[in-house]
Amino acid sequence: MKRLLGVALGILTAIGGFVDIGDLVTNAVVGSRFGMSLAWVVLVGVVGICLFANMSGRVAAVSGRATFEVIRERLGPRAGLANLGASFLINVMTVTAEIGGIALALQLASGVAYILWVPFALLAVWLVVWRVKFSIMENVTGLVGLSLVVFAVALFLLKPDWGALAGQAFSPSVPAQEGAGVYWYYAIALFGAAMTPYEVFFFSSGAVEERWKIKDLAQSRLNVLLGFPLGGLLSIAIAGCAAVVLLPAGISVTSLSQVALPVAQAGGQLALAVLILGVVAATFGAALETTLSSGYTLAQFFGWSWGKFRRPAQAARFHVSMIVVLLAGVAVLATGVDPILVTEYSVVFSAIALPLTYLPILIVANDPQYMGKHVNNRAVNIAGVIYLFVILVASLAAIPLMIATGAGA
Amino acid sequence: MNLSDMLGSDVLDGAGERLGEVSDVRFALDAGAGQLLSPARLVGIVVSPRTASSFLGYERQEISQPWPVAQLLRWRHRGSFLVLWEDIAVMGSEGVRLRSGFTAYDARLTR
Repeated sequence: MKRLLGVALGILTAIGGFVDIGDLVTNAVVGSRFGMSLAWVVLVGVVGICLFANMSGRVAAVSGRATFEVIRERLGPRAGLANLGASFLINVMTVTAEIGGIALALQLASGVAYILWVPFALLAVWLVVWRVKFSIMENVTGLVGLSLVVFAVALFLLKPDWGALAGQAFSPSVPAQEGAGVYWYYAIALFGAAMTPYEVFFFSSGAVEERWKIKDLAQSRLNVLLGFPLGGLLSIAIAGCAAVVLLPAGISVTSLSQVALPVAQAGGQLALAVLILGVVAATFGAALETTLSSGYTLAQFFGWSWGKFRRPAQAARFHVSMIVVLLAGVAVLATGVDPILVTEYSVVFSAIALPLTYLPILIVANDPQYMGKHVNNRAVNIAGVIYLFVILVASLAAIPLMIATGAGA
Repeated sequence: MNLSDMLGSDVLDGAGERLGEVSDVRFALDAGAGQLLSPARLVGIVVSPRTASSFLGYERQEISQPWPVAQLLRWRHRGSFLVLWEDIAVMGSEGVRLRSGFTAYDARLTR
């Protein structure tokens, strides 16, 4: 019974943890501009993140060490540093976006300008990172984040033409008013939003924090293989709401209130309140995850002691580096840059940096010296290499498309 | 001199002909780890004719997955050879020069 509860908890946490500000914004933008015609990308991204998280979770559970320690040891400091540089940059960008997201959600709830909420959000994130137990932090934000299911409920309440939505999703085409370049640019953004590397570092370091062993592999696989796809469904529901309400009205999403608009229209104030709760929890949870991921990657690369299972005084550099990252994120927000814009760029840069974080894990997961008999099996490797190719193409195409389309304008 | 500074430096033969670049340095452990770690003995350098980038571990022959990453990396390092420390004449900021009549050993590692 306890085991079953653990599995259920893990799955629910994975659903709530999947959606962050990147998914919220990108899916709503895409839904409001392209309808459901990019829903296939969410599917591709979800399968990718399942594969990625499965490999790195397995590396962590089998070797008892987190991914970055293994990467540095196995591929050497130079290749490791390229990986670290890329991941760290994306992490800082994502931390910035998530803190902005918390502030925007609180603005939506209170009417007080988001910039005034930023210091509050910073303090709250830091206090939790510093004080709260790993499992509590993980489960509470994941479970409260589940209230984003309100997007799926809203979609039903809106009574859309399901046939038309399915038609857009299953026979995708570029809408007449948008160019093909913009379509593919947003395809990459959506892919980057689903496959953000921090989730993977967090997941594998979390496996070490929670002391996973080989016998826990089955449960971790279940968490990933059920939780992430359900999270993906939630993403599609966000796009669906935007496609039903915003697309016909000609509103393309540029703010969080527009993301919330369809839900408010379908379910009124109550639904809006649930939505805001969900957005705060999801962005707060993701802010914790990205902040911790920055600390994890740095500490694991440089060999500092790390982890929330240690007291902060025993992992001082780990905690200091997270404070620095949080302050850097807040400094960026203090310039008055639009958090939604930061989010849109962060998901694209995630896609650009993805090969540098994906390839090392693919290589380590194939090394019998680390993995023993738990190396990738044939099916995982075939999928792994297909995704390596997809990731490479998306990464190489992203910058040219960004320039050619003016970042999807 | 830092050993890692040697990575990527040019390798010349006794006559001054360029052979490639230092892509790795190989050590041997002469005994199992005891109370102190076993001292590592420098065996030689791996010279790669095309690239100083890392083998990423694919110098070990038993690892061939995932296709085609392993194969691509091996192909990129084709013609790599191991030169023993005794065969190195000069090692310095100008690069590495080997003694004439050095022996090129297979750089691959087998079990």
